[in-house]
Amino acid sequence: MSQADSTALSASRILLKVLRVLNIGMAVGLVLAVPASFFFAPTLFEFFSKKPPRIDPSMLLPTLRVWLVMALLMVALIHVQLSRLLAVVATVPDDPFVPENAVRLKTIAWCMLGIELLRLVFGILAGTMNAAGSNIDWKFSASGWVAVVLLFVLAQVFEAGARMRADLDTLI
Amino acid sequence: MTIFVKLDEVLHVRRMTLTELSGKVGITLANLSILKTGKARGIRFSTLQAICEALDCQPGDLLVNRPDPASDSEAS
Repeated sequence: MSQADSTALSASRILLKVLRVLNIGMAVGLVLAVPASFFFAPTLFEFFSKKPPRIDPSMLLPTLRVWLVMALLMVALIHVQLSRLLAVVATVPDDPFVPENAVRLKTIAWCMLGIELLRLVFGILAGTMNAAGSNIDWKFSASGWVAVVLLFVLAQVFEAGARMRADLDTLI
Repeated sequence: MTIFVKLDEVLHVRRMTLTELSGKVGITLANLSILKTGKARGIRFSTLQAICEALDCQPGDLLVNRPDPASDSEAS
């Protein structure tokens, strides 16, 4: 491995660890926000009643809570993705073409699919809220779906690579 | 029919152990054992050359095409 590759790998590892910590922080925030939305409901009611556009807080608050729970699910999926990716990165200096990496990539792909499905649900909720007078900006993006396909294909590539590596190990 | 590596026979003739051969050719004992027991899927020319030089023999002295013991017992 060249020095540049080694540096890039180390940088990737550090970035993934930082992202994982930030993601865990987000999870903690979301876990605290759900009960807080009940505890501070009167304050939030008053706040959203005055804030334009004036949406009925009795509709807005439950939707926000659903949003928070779904965001928590998304954060959990992201945590699994980052952890599996860190495990893949750890194998690169030695031998990345192992069956475990094919399984990890497939897991990352399934998590990505889950995240994209949650995004779609977010979009439906945003549409519902916008119909009630809100102004939530949500746009469909195909790039996430392309990433899902890419990851499943990559998992197959790694599976084939691991088979070839196993075959090569018996070539003396 | 399967290709076998007659390492045991040639080592016996040359009065050499597998460990000594491993040290001479730079191939691990584990890999030489894989070759010896017929579990290898293939052999590189570089490996064959190194073994032939260490044992002072020809590739034909090491390689033999024998009936597979498993298919042989099925036939009988």
